[in-house]
Amino acid sequence: MDWYLLLSAFGKVLLNPINFLFVSIGVTAGIIVGALPGLTATMGVALLIPFTFGLDPIQGLVMLIGLFTGGIYGACISSILVGIPGTPAGAATLLDGYTMNQKGMAGKAMGMAVIASWFGGTIGALVMTFASPQIAKVALKFGPPEFFSLAFFGLGIIITISGRSILKGLISGIFGLMLPLIGFDPLSGAPRFTFGSMQLLGGITLIPALIGLFGYSQVFQGIEKILILPSVKTELKNLIPKLSELKSVLGTMVKSSLIGVFIGAVPGTGTDIAAFVAYGEAKRASKNPERFGTGVLEGVAAPESGNNAGAGGAMVPMLTLGVPGDAVTAVLMGALTIHNFQPGPMLFTEHPEIVYPIFAAMILAQFVMLFVGLGGARYFARLINIDRKILTPIIFLLCVVGSYSMRFSFFDVGVSLVIGILAYFMNYYGYPVSPILLSIILGPMVEQNLRRSLVISHGDPTIFFTRPISAAFIFIGLFIMITSYYRVRKAMEKDSRKATG
Amino acid sequence: MKRADVGVGGVLVVLSVLLFWYSGRYQDVAVHLYGPDLFPRVLAAFMIVLAVLLIVNALRGRSLKKEDRIDPRGFIRVLVAIGICIGYLVLTNILGFATASFLFLFVLMALLRQKGILLRIETSLVVTLLVWAIFRYFLVIPLPEGIFI
Repeated sequence: MDWYLLLSAFGKVLLNPINFLFVSIGVTAGIIVGALPGLTATMGVALLIPFTFGLDPIQGLVMLIGLFTGGIYGACISSILVGIPGTPAGAATLLDGYTMNQKGMAGKAMGMAVIASWFGGTIGALVMTFASPQIAKVALKFGPPEFFSLAFFGLGIIITISGRSILKGLISGIFGLMLPLIGFDPLSGAPRFTFGSMQLLGGITLIPALIGLFGYSQVFQGIEKILILPSVKTELKNLIPKLSELKSVLGTMVKSSLIGVFIGAVPGTGTDIAAFVAYGEAKRASKNPERFGTGVLEGVAAPESGNNAGAGGAMVPMLTLGVPGDAVTAVLMGALTIHNFQPGPMLFTEHPEIVYPIFAAMILAQFVMLFVGLGGARYFARLINIDRKILTPIIFLLCVVGSYSMRFSFFDVGVSLVIGILAYFMNYYGYPVSPILLSIILGPMVEQNLRRSLVISHGDPTIFFTRPISAAFIFIGLFIMITSYYRVRKAMEKDSRKATG
Repeated sequence: MKRADVGVGGVLVVLSVLLFWYSGRYQDVAVHLYGPDLFPRVLAAFMIVLAVLLIVNALRGRSLKKEDRIDPRGFIRVLVAIGICIGYLVLTNILGFATASFLFLFVLMALLRQKGILLRIETSLVVTLLVWAIFRYFLVIPLPEGIFI
């Protein structure tokens, strides 16, 4: 941990008004994106990336980090005010947040949510700042077998956790692994599956694919089902909870933040899961668990600190290992790659000039979010009333512009549209989209390290098990996958028994 | 979702078999033991197994229930919107990005039955100008130009 670099990065981000401005724009845009149902933080980051091309990499990245931070908080705004989460990360907050709204305490719920988000986010950012360099040091010793097992671990987890059907999750995952096969094979130089097309030589470009998965698919859903949201007429008064109330939730916030960071740091599990687990744990450990759901402050504090802490946690594996902690960090990884920074342990040794500003930006973003969130709560509340018939076409336009700007290519727009149509149908037929995202990103890592490892071992597959770190990843991954499978099975059986019994 | 599962499963089996077979052409390019054909074939094999499982599950009646149905009128709206998009892409080169985008937004909002033609014109104009300005002056990224900007 190089203090000099960290402090000078802080200086660069804080004292340079342009960088500070970009963080603020990012946070504000993020809160708006997070607050509007139908727009997710993942989509927001994917759509914003093309807008960062002409910018200095630091400016672009701090804006994206701001958007990430704001988006995870913003999700609670519509959860609390209309009972519909703006982004999956805010789904747990509506359990108590919306009830508080119905009891006339919407203002306090909003205020608590901002403070809890700031608290959790800061803890997450601090953990990210101090733990990442250490983890990167360990990761420098990783070889191809370790990277393969790590990718296997991340993919396995996301497949097991997402969606109602593990089988369909697997199908999504394997399909996602097939997409990066198009294009040049880096290990042999042979072009694969290009069918003679010049355009396909470069493969499926990442950002247009992401815009397809998360942008167009949502747009199509928005066009098909024109959502009418109840309009927000609540007056927001008394935003900040009393000091005594804050003190009473402090313990919950600390615990939820730690849970959040940890869950976020596991590749594949993200802010939404962090929020739910933090809520569940707060309820379980509480002296009056039955009060959860009736509109208690802890019910808002726990998920909100959990999910923002999870954001910081999710950055850790992405930066240090090149394996994204969740969907948004997966997109952020794409942003780094576009600016020619390869996430992974080498990033810390070769490009500290980008790593430390990222840390500084993450920490700073929390404070910006605190002020913007508290100050702008009333305005954000009214923003939810935006007519979706105006919003959806605008997002559609941004998707087209975004998918075009990568390579100034209409072909990319086409690819993006096709993937979007596919994702739209996948959503209806129960195929989760998250595994595709992770597979597209991790696919090349999986294949190349698999082949490199087999070359090193002269064709002997036991290399993955004889090297301790690699074996650890594989076994822990399998363990988590198997236990998750049984847990999901049990939950499904309980549901079907409840339905029939 | 039985029919959908069987259908998708069937398509996946066919495509995966094709993938497996097509990957064979990369076998001789292999510099090392495991060449560019390894991974596609492994994936194809996995997919065939999964797709067969999907079909079997469906035939045994264990498919998941559909949680949400696609609204038929809405779906037609989506198809029309995609058509509008294609038209937009063609027009961009003819009319220029800004003009085509304005029309794109305007027509889409009309498709969604957005009330108030004045608001529609205003919003389309403002958003188009904003995006165009950001790309032209702020990011300095060229956008297609045609007869107009």
